Amino acid sequence: MKKHHYNPDSCIACTSCVAYCPVSAATRKFAGPKMMGPALERFRGGETNTDFSLDYCANCKNCDISCPSGVPISTLNMLARAKQYKNKRRSLLDWMMSHSDLMSKLASPIAALSNFGMANPLTKMILKQVGITDKMSLPKYASKTFLQQFRAFKQQSFPDKVVFFSGCFINYYAPEVGMDLVAVMQRNKREVIVPEGLDCCGSPLVGKGYLDEAVEKARTNIAALKHWFEQGIPVLTCCTSCGLMLKMEIQEMMDLELMEQLAAYTYDASEYLLELHAQGKLSTEFAPVAGCYIYHTPCHLRAQGIGKPSLELLSMIPGFQIEDADAGCCGQSGTYGFEVAKHDIAMAVAEPVLKRIREFQPDFIVSDCSGCRLQLSQGTGFPALHPLTLLRRAYEGK
Amino acid sequence: MKKTTAVIIGGGATGVGILRDLSMRGVAAVLLEQRDLAYGASSRFHGLLHSGGRYAVKDAEAARECAEENAVLRKIGRHCVESTTGYFVRLPEDDPAYEAKWVVACQAAGIPVEPVDLARAHRLEPHFSERAAAVYEVPDAAIDGFRLCRQNVLSAKRYGGKMMNYTEVTSIEQQNGQVTAVKTRNTLTGELGSIECDIVVNAAGSWVGQVAGLAGIKINVIPDRGTLIAFNHRFTDRIMNRLRPPANADIFVPHGSVTLLGTTSSPTERPDDFTPTTEEVLALIDEGKELFDELPRYRLLRAYTGTRPLYCADPTAATREISRNFVILDHAKEGLDGLISIVGGKLTTYRLMAEKISDAICGKLSVQAPCRTAEEALVDDIAPELMQQAKKFFPTAGVELAASRLGPDLAETVQRIQANPAKKELVCECELVTLAEVETVAHDDTTFTMSDIRRRTRMGMGTCQGTYCGLRGLGMMVDNDLARGMTTENLLREFLETRWNGIRPILWGQQMREVELTRGIYGAGLNMDGAVPDETE
Repeated sequence: MKKHHYNPDSCIACTSCVAYCPVSAATRKFAGPKMMGPALERFRGGETNTDFSLDYCANCKNCDISCPSGVPISTLNMLARAKQYKNKRRSLLDWMMSHSDLMSKLASPIAALSNFGMANPLTKMILKQVGITDKMSLPKYASKTFLQQFRAFKQQSFPDKVVFFSGCFINYYAPEVGMDLVAVMQRNKREVIVPEGLDCCGSPLVGKGYLDEAVEKARTNIAALKHWFEQGIPVLTCCTSCGLMLKMEIQEMMDLELMEQLAAYTYDASEYLLELHAQGKLSTEFAPVAGCYIYHTPCHLRAQGIGKPSLELLSMIPGFQIEDADAGCCGQSGTYGFEVAKHDIAMAVAEPVLKRIREFQPDFIVSDCSGCRLQLSQGTGFPALHPLTLLRRAYEGK
Repeated sequence: MKKTTAVIIGGGATGVGILRDLSMRGVAAVLLEQRDLAYGASSRFHGLLHSGGRYAVKDAEAARECAEENAVLRKIGRHCVESTTGYFVRLPEDDPAYEAKWVVACQAAGIPVEPVDLARAHRLEPHFSERAAAVYEVPDAAIDGFRLCRQNVLSAKRYGGKMMNYTEVTSIEQQNGQVTAVKTRNTLTGELGSIECDIVVNAAGSWVGQVAGLAGIKINVIPDRGTLIAFNHRFTDRIMNRLRPPANADIFVPHGSVTLLGTTSSPTERPDDFTPTTEEVLALIDEGKELFDELPRYRLLRAYTGTRPLYCADPTAATREISRNFVILDHAKEGLDGLISIVGGKLTTYRLMAEKISDAICGKLSVQAPCRTAEEALVDDIAPELMQQAKKFFPTAGVELAASRLGPDLAETVQRIQANPAKKELVCECELVTLAEVETVAHDDTTFTMSDIRRRTRMGMGTCQGTYCGLRGLGMMVDNDLARGMTTENLLREFLETRWNGIRPILWGQQMREVELTRGIYGAGLNMDGAVPDETE
């Protein structure tokens, strides 16, 4: 049997998932993970009814994490969503929210113009008509993508290699995080490889029910990566949703050759560095880093079941003080919080962690997930960093 | 003293069929059932509306009757029959000569049988064995015994027929070799009564011998145990039969959200020998996995046992060898005019059985009216407007389910939700049963126990087997003052006990974990088993 074979049969209706579902706590529009997942799965034989309640699942995975019976509840929801929307006309909003990679490809080369275009009131009004909230600022395109910056950068060559799967957000919106990863790896005598032909990981597509397209992306990515992981070279991610897709979701939702091997060689970048540390290979020549920090654990990191590796790494910086917010989901769930219909739910979900951060008054919020960083930063007014950025600062003594 | 023309004993398919037939012909009739409708073999079976294929080789007459009645029931019983079609699958180890014989016999019996391309069959039914050597399609269907019985009674009521459940017959009164009355006892309250009548129809199924015994008449009926198991999922959309001479564990029937596998066959002494055993369950899985390779990994919900009332003039015959045909016994021959028994038969042909015995009764009463049960639908279709209205309130997959469970009672359920939208909350999440539906059924004057509600709503028949709906259902009964003389503790105990009867023999794997949760809630949380003070303290 597949490692992540989905099995609604294991549900004992204990309702833990409902107790831990942040969306269920925020709205009655969602019938809850137990009902939408394993309970309704028993009635999803032949034809399916369109169930709008299904749209409210944010795929944050807290149900899967809390399930004592190992039922991948959110995956059942995503598969049902894909089935529900197969061959149906979709809204422009759904298309836009799931194809940001395509839109970025078009918009990113003219980043300054695009950012101006997206920020002006007329565009905001049009976006609102489409269903994108004007209560949040959309992320800004970087003037140079990660790939452009990486190709222009001269690395020192080392015998130890790592492959980096940057994902769309880092490539188009936060290339500096990718370059931080490269710097941290170079410090640890690792050469970073970014293979040609990588595509979006497919997470936004899965979230909107475009499963067939996500399968194609996964197939493309496996083809681009297999040359490396088949030699035993690890594949690193520092976007927790990309990581979850490569490690778990592909196996749960798809049936592709080599997917188990890919999963076995995929590491969250911090997880990988901790492993180096365990082997005595991590450089710990850290300079002190000043400031007051609070750490937020992304749900998709918790779903990977690897603890909080970034927090462990950062605690190795001498004298470094960082508070663990430990206040639940931020509500953003990728693009969920951008939608007019769901923004208020996302904000209700976020309230405990926003309150925690506001009260803590940090200099910086630290989180591995770009969606979380956007949400928490906009929700509190404090800037947010990726842990690798801090780690690089510690290495470089800045 | 109450008075009627015919008293029918037994609220199974045969009894309710007779009640409907006689009522439609204008004969006053009352049906008496010792427990609830479909308490016996009419619900404790695989729920298969036979195409006749199973009997084609051995019993051409039974096969032909099945084929004809199958077509009739699909028409009149649209709301209790799911027209799934069925496959007969021959595995490599099954005799190919039987296959050839079977095809010819089906054609001779008028059963439409079509060979199915193996690739197509596997595409439509992805879970059955890749080893299959041949597949044929026949018009098998799934039939819900609870709904069938209920809908026959609803139909009979429109023509003046009456049904009393929880009423057992304690004696059959006679005068000068003629039946005059029956004496009754309410099995819940102990209340006694009697009904004056000219005819007593003994349609008590496995209890037919006991009922005849009340009049001092002996009928040789061997109750034959058949155990079945219910799986948590619908892993086949069609009836799956093994193409071989009828044996154990060779029928899989999808029902709503579950799949049933049956059956075993072994003689027993008691008509209510309803406790399944682990050995039977293991034997079913062991044999069933030949057709579904993954079967041992599918989650079991429960096992259940029924008894077939096999009638045989020769008491030494092996049970599988006894014909499934029915026999009408007019006890006038034994000196008691007015008592007629009907024995044997099978659910698929219940209507035909009812027609034949009603013909006999009408003959005695000189009633000329012809049988019309094959022409008129059991219950009316639900108006599309009502379905549209209902869709606003029910969980999406729930509307069709509720409509098929409730039939004419859907309107009342929708009204309850309209009056108080909070009543669309689910009492039973596993089977998507709303509070309004449970209340509607609970208020019916033939509903007494929580198991009565379960039989009509499927509350407690899903994955958690009553863990959550038990409590919620009890709260509803108490809130609405519907306990009707039973203590709340006994209401709950009765409900849980019926659930546990089917779970005890399958205590392993996922269901074991489920049971531990149930035990935690009812045993530890609510102290259902009653704490005994520790005397050592």
